[in-house]
Amino acid sequence: MTLTINVTVNGKSVSADAEPSTSLLEFLRDVLNYKGTKLCCNTGECGACTVLFNGKPVNSCVVPAADAVGAQVVTVEGLADGEKLHPVQQAFIDTGAVQCGYCTPGFIISVKALLDRTKRPTPAEIEEAVSGNICRCTGYAKIVDAIALAAERMEGSTLGIASGGRS
Amino acid sequence: MAKAEHSVLGTSIARQGGVERVTGAGIYGIDLDLPNAVRGGILRSQHAHAKIVSIDTSQAKALPGVYAVVTAADAPDVKYGRTTIDRYMLAKNKVRYMGDPVAAVAAESQAVVKQALKKIKVVYEPLPVVLDPEETMKASAPTLHEEVPLPANLPKDANVKNVCSYTGVHAGDPEKAMAEADVVVEEVYETKMIHPQYLEPRIAAARQEPDGRITLWANAQAPFGVRTDVARLLKVPLNKVRVLSTELGGGFGGKASGITSGAAIEPICALLAVKARRPVMIVLDKAEETISTTIRSGAKMYIKTGVKKDGTIVARTGKVVYDAGAYSGFGAMAGARCTQMLGGWYLTPNVHIDGYVVYTNKQVCGPVRGPGGPQAAFAVESHMDSIAAKLGIDPVEFRLKNVPKSGDRIVGVPKLRDISLGETVRIAAEKIGWGKTKLGKNQGIGIATGSWIESSGPGGGAMVKVNEDGSATVHIGKIDMGTAPRFGIPMIVAEELGIPVNDVMVVNVDTDASPWDAGTVGSRSIIVSGTATRLAAIDARNQIFKLAASQLEASPDDLEIKDKQIRVKGTPAKSVPLATVATAAHNVIGEVVGHGYCDSKLMAAEEKAHGNSPPFTAHACIVEVDPDTGNVKILKYVAVHDVGFVIHPVAVEGQVEGAAAMSIGQALCEQVVFDTNGRTMNPSFVDYLMPTINMMPRIETTLVHGYPGAGPYGAKGAGEIGCVPPMAAIANAICNATGVRIRTLPLSPENVLRALRAAKR
Ligand code: FES
Ligand code: FES
Repeated sequence: MTLTINVTVNGKSVSADAEPSTSLLEFLRDVLNYKGTKLCCNTGECGACTVLFNGKPVNSCVVPAADAVGAQVVTVEGLADGEKLHPVQQAFIDTGAVQCGYCTPGFIISVKALLDRTKRPTPAEIEEAVSGNICRCTGYAKIVDAIALAAERMEGSTLGIASGGRS
Repeated sequence: MAKAEHSVLGTSIARQGGVERVTGAGIYGIDLDLPNAVRGGILRSQHAHAKIVSIDTSQAKALPGVYAVVTAADAPDVKYGRTTIDRYMLAKNKVRYMGDPVAAVAAESQAVVKQALKKIKVVYEPLPVVLDPEETMKASAPTLHEEVPLPANLPKDANVKNVCSYTGVHAGDPEKAMAEADVVVEEVYETKMIHPQYLEPRIAAARQEPDGRITLWANAQAPFGVRTDVARLLKVPLNKVRVLSTELGGGFGGKASGITSGAAIEPICALLAVKARRPVMIVLDKAEETISTTIRSGAKMYIKTGVKKDGTIVARTGKVVYDAGAYSGFGAMAGARCTQMLGGWYLTPNVHIDGYVVYTNKQVCGPVRGPGGPQAAFAVESHMDSIAAKLGIDPVEFRLKNVPKSGDRIVGVPKLRDISLGETVRIAAEKIGWGKTKLGKNQGIGIATGSWIESSGPGGGAMVKVNEDGSATVHIGKIDMGTAPRFGIPMIVAEELGIPVNDVMVVNVDTDASPWDAGTVGSRSIIVSGTATRLAAIDARNQIFKLAASQLEASPDDLEIKDKQIRVKGTPAKSVPLATVATAAHNVIGEVVGHGYCDSKLMAAEEKAHGNSPPFTAHACIVEVDPDTGNVKILKYVAVHDVGFVIHPVAVEGQVEGAAAMSIGQALCEQVVFDTNGRTMNPSFVDYLMPTINMMPRIETTLVHGYPGAGPYGAKGAGEIGCVPPMAAIANAICNATGVRIRTLPLSPENVLRALRAAKR
């Protein structure tokens, strides 16, 4: 038995078949070929597979694809405007928050969700927003810098959080 | 800011490859989409130690959609191993850990692979399981490797078994010095196994080409090592195996299977592809990785130090029992490093340490980030505080008192020069507010230092091709995992060739085209590839000057290159674009190709003559211990590092902070837990706890300047040393807060609480 899944991904409506056991992550990566959303733990613990699901960040590895019928899904591929990177993407590059980069798409989605709902997040809100995203490379310092820088650029104001590190 | 004498070195350019990573391009191994590829999977042993009586694959083979089922019987009868040849690609006769590969399947989908694996019937005859290396060394223990002789260099009176390798460190007359010491402190420390837990699962994909050659894709830190293993195990010449490295989503030594010959999925994948006559891709599941791939070993360390009343260290003796796991893997090297480092990096004239690397029925030791070092440093630097306490000397003062001087030797380094240890300690103490910060209730302060030897090891080459538009294409043998190849390496080429850094392209490793390299391990990317790249770029520049000289009617010695223009020094009007010269080369030598090498013998001779300046570090922290729950919160954390000349400050900080985070994880929560049968109790991320942002302090990094190392421009490696001090720094702070010295990791709430309660009794 296969299901037909109609879903909007990055503003484009798509329709494809999938087994009932398929997760949204598998559906995105293996059926629709959106490889930007990454597979890691597959148990909802690391955040590498984070996507926006009707505007909210979810771990797509633990969401059944069937639940996405009619939903609006945004993946990391949907953020840039042509060649122009989304401010969150640009901030990750500018602060050196991208080491291996494998956690990056998940973080960027979580941060976008944060900045979509809060223009001027407090350090506690920042921590909370990415507490489900594991990064094994950076020790998080440069990621915090990236979030602060993105917020600053999007809001055009300073958050009073160190965005240092650049020389 | 770039140093005046450099144009780009010393600045923090945007990492190359950053745009692909933030936009979600399918660049990683796991994103590979090989046409017509089928899936592969591995059947792993369900016993930690057993004889294989029989394997029946007939039912699996009969399953529709199955392309191949392989066991050891399908592969040449060849074993492998880096220091000891002790392992088959698929277990033969015996399995030695739960997770040992026994058979493999290629099938049309992952679902069919799973079904087929279930249908393989293996009959085992269980054997006694040994998990504790000290038990394994006893005469009563079962023999794990019947065919492996004991190491030839074992001490005569050792009376041990199952030892895979031995390292003895000796200097002076420790017995006499210990007898003459005013104070002797003796302790035992222990660390547990942790998994590197890079986020991207390991993959391998293989295809046999029409001409019989094998192409292999892997997210491998050591593509040439993979090639060696595949060629050896499939009995084909090296030039019939081509390994292409994909981008890596982290590695930390865990993806260096070609170096350890441990847990190698690549040869299995190649065998499957040959038998299936179809391309095959294997993707490991994260839980499968935790139980089967290479890890940071646990170590038990006996340490004893004699000191004078004034705090001068006179002798150190000790013993290391290092867990190799089921096969030798990287155990011999990691265990040797742990043994050396138990001697410490302070001036210690008399040393005797025995290091035993021992087989057990657990997964295999890999070259995980600073192999052997963090374990030793946990013991050494906790022990330093215990000694200071016994002497009644301040821990900072005690460390400073024993800092070696230029010309001194420490274990592993015969002659030191430019020693930054004291300065790192002083800066760390100042930044953390040592002796000044007013600590609150249940709070404590701690410091620990570390070192790492990264200047010795295999050499490597580089090739810089100058294209006719003046851009450069660079081949090196090391891969990028957020490390030098796409940070510092392009900067070096830009600097030496006078071209913008964005005109430099460093290509990923292809063993058919790239220069041989031992692998991206040992903090050696900047030392090996950096040195080689610099010389290759200079070689290319010299060729360009020679080609341009006649055109500019000047001697090559009088030329300089800047902003893609070759100019006569002092006469800037006389110039020619680099592109013109590179194009003109077509009619002369074809193409400007600069070659360079990191010649390890030369480097060793240099260090012998002038001394070695190893990197040093000091970390300090303030913690708060909850006496009711045992929970440890790090309130402030400073990391001070000497990495010699800093080519890319943000990249170096990132390495330091990531490495520190990994060891903070090992200090506070990480551990692979086994039951008595050798089964991993916490294979998935649900139970294997790693630092998230909530438990991480902001690591405040300071880079110390002025101590040039063996790398290009005086750079030193930076990838691993950050892992060395954190565990002891935290343990020392906990001891300062509670008065309780905890000598076994992790310092988890449960263990801390137990220690606090035990101390009360
Ligand atoms: S892969 Fe989905 S949370 Fe880890
Ligand atoms: S950058 Fe590698 S896991 Fe975050």
